[in-house]
Amino acid sequence: MMDPSVIARTQFAFTVSFHIIFPTISIGLASFLAIIEGLWLKTKDEIYLQIYKFWLNIFAMSFGVGVVTGIVLSFEFGLGFARFAEIAGPAIGPMIAMEVLTAFFLEAGFLGIMLFGMNRVGPRLHFFATCMVAVGTLLSASWILSANSWMQTPDGVSFQNGRLVVVDWIRVIVNPSWLFRLPHMFMAAFLTASFLVSGVGAWYLLRGKYLAFARKSVALGTAFATVLIGVQVFLGDILYGTMLHYQPSKMQAAEGFWPKKSQSPAPYYWIIVPDQKNERNRVAIGIPWLGSIWLTHSLRGRVAGLSNTPPDRQPIMGMVFYSFRTMYGIAILMFAVGIASIWHRLKGTLFVSRGFLWLLVWMTPCGIFATLAGWYVAETGRQPWVIWGMLRTADAVSPVPGHAFLSTLIAFVCVYSMFLAAFLYFALRIIRRGPMEISVYAEASGSLKNALRPYVLDSSEPVRR
Amino acid sequence: MDLPLLTASFAALALVFYVVLDGFDLGVGILLFFRPEQASRDHMVDSITPTWDGNETWLVMTGISLLAAFPTAYAILMPAFYLPVILMLLGLGLRGVSFEFRVQMRKHRRRWDYAFAAGSLVAGFMQGTIVGGLMQGVNVRNLEFAGSVFDVFRALPLISGLAVAAGYCVLGAGWLFLKANEPLLRFAVHALRSATLVFISVLFVAGLTALRVQPAIRAAWGFHYLALSILSALFAVIAIFLAATSVGVQPLRPLVAGTGLFLLGMAAIILIIYPDIVPFNLTLWDAAASSASEKFVLVGIACVTPVVLAYSSYAYWVFRGRTPAKGWGE
Repeated sequence: MMDPSVIARTQFAFTVSFHIIFPTISIGLASFLAIIEGLWLKTKDEIYLQIYKFWLNIFAMSFGVGVVTGIVLSFEFGLGFARFAEIAGPAIGPMIAMEVLTAFFLEAGFLGIMLFGMNRVGPRLHFFATCMVAVGTLLSASWILSANSWMQTPDGVSFQNGRLVVVDWIRVIVNPSWLFRLPHMFMAAFLTASFLVSGVGAWYLLRGKYLAFARKSVALGTAFATVLIGVQVFLGDILYGTMLHYQPSKMQAAEGFWPKKSQSPAPYYWIIVPDQKNERNRVAIGIPWLGSIWLTHSLRGRVAGLSNTPPDRQPIMGMVFYSFRTMYGIAILMFAVGIASIWHRLKGTLFVSRGFLWLLVWMTPCGIFATLAGWYVAETGRQPWVIWGMLRTADAVSPVPGHAFLSTLIAFVCVYSMFLAAFLYFALRIIRRGPMEISVYAEASGSLKNALRPYVLDSSEPVRR
Repeated sequence: MDLPLLTASFAALALVFYVVLDGFDLGVGILLFFRPEQASRDHMVDSITPTWDGNETWLVMTGISLLAAFPTAYAILMPAFYLPVILMLLGLGLRGVSFEFRVQMRKHRRRWDYAFAAGSLVAGFMQGTIVGGLMQGVNVRNLEFAGSVFDVFRALPLISGLAVAAGYCVLGAGWLFLKANEPLLRFAVHALRSATLVFISVLFVAGLTALRVQPAIRAAWGFHYLALSILSALFAVIAIFLAATSVGVQPLRPLVAGTGLFLLGMAAIILIIYPDIVPFNLTLWDAAASSASEKFVLVGIACVTPVVLAYSSYAYWVFRGRTPAKGWGE
């Protein structure tokens, strides 16, 4: 009948994919807000304050959804993957606990001030709170990346009487892939925020509304994006080398070659139809020579294929390949936007070129898709392992029948659709109403912060709360 | 130092905080079902608005300390309570979303109120189911869950689910008694009386069922005869006080009394299952991770918990007194 492991993995993939969207937005926006508030304090230009207030609302909402969907994950390790929880718990459990504690700490101390304290604590202390929240989101991400990177490149543990024991915490936390994956994720979050900001700005420019706000948003967003995508490509290249060393099968699958040594010169594939069983591609379309040039940094170099890895240790090539191409394709688009923005800036047409502005509007959510695709590379490429070289995913699944997994998966899809609808409804409403309407901080989120606020956003209906 | 015991004590404390803090706002949520007028429901939700969302964090603390410090127990209990845990999480999620919607929309507020109430009921009921499932005993073989995910939908867990949901209503009514204005005050008194009666009668049935289905509980009565009798007697006294509440009672007392009932209940459970962490199967020390992991967790907890506690207390202090008729917003 239904294979429980497939459904359990689908369920985890669904819930964790949904979750990561919101932390990505809030990590990116938190740092963006810190920079904006810093600029406001330095220049005293009210436009920065307006930008700050506008994005603070979206930040608060993503933070909220991130917390709610994160709670589910903290239980899901055991619900779906009990054996994994049992083995990895001693190593990743404390790191996840630290992440939860960090989030608590933020929630407890600085988030309230950031959201509602402007008039109570004064601008300088408020700026400090914003910075602490930004640092806190980065710290939270570090813990989670440590835990996940440990699953990719486990280190610092030994087995004693069949139980995993941590022998060196430093090596567990600062494991080999973490150093490069962490900044890669930070850049992904920052890029996501940059494109959100420039996309909304571009939309207002096209509509001819809130022009001062919109120009500043487009100028800042594209400036950040241009610098960040350069850094990101550089980091991605280093990470590529690291993963090639630690997880060759992941990168072999990502490039789409099967033979132990590819043809010379190697093409760079964009479309393949892999035949996993017979270890060949039914269809493979790519750009000639480019594979050798990009991947081996030589004209005629050969690229290693997935057949170097024994079949029972191969990830599913199609998933890794297309995830990687999606991420990479978006990165190239982002790069192009960066170049185009420099061009328009020099020509002085950054705010008037309708084509470019429409491109920015279309690119608004691109950071989210690239981040998701990147995580799919990391996670599907690690298969068939859940802890690399240590525990297979298929052996980690809980003793729960397939139909139970399936019914809860359906329930998750229903409830999360409501979350998404709520988030989009409120976020689009904020965007539609524009920055002028923002007289207060943060859209409703049933919390202390919310209750502390003096007015209600919705001026058309005098809401009694 | 006995690290597993220390960590387990913290996990238990986090759970106590969770039940005490989230219990009443789940209860207020369930009680929304019983108020047909929009104004009353608005007032009820207003009373929990300032503080309710921080409370769930204690539940996460409990879960994560289990994963980090008692991975074996976590790996047995999560699959065993697969369905109730997920339903509880979905219920809590539904609460979160419907809260946002009900505040933002005037038109369909009634619908979102009932979604909020349903989420609260499901979450509370499932928490009770988990407790009942623990008392019923978990089928374990070779340190793995060996039962069916439907084991938890037998008589004892279901009765316990009902009991906890009713118990949360007692707490919720106690909260309303403390925070609400007329005419809801009268409703709070009615709710206190009826919920208490339902709570203790269902709990009585649950107790009898537990004695019947789990021999280890009968044995525990043998060991702790005196202690459990004292707890039961205290429980009865407080329950009678609650069932006899009238409008004139000092406002804080019913809530404190309701909380007392829960604390007594939890004390009894701990007395019965200690030193097991998977009841009647696995002790704290057998399920514990190595001391390196426990130390790591304990240091983190020691740093952060005081801050969280201080902040929470401050939040409750800021919003002390009765809820203004127009809500906290103005």
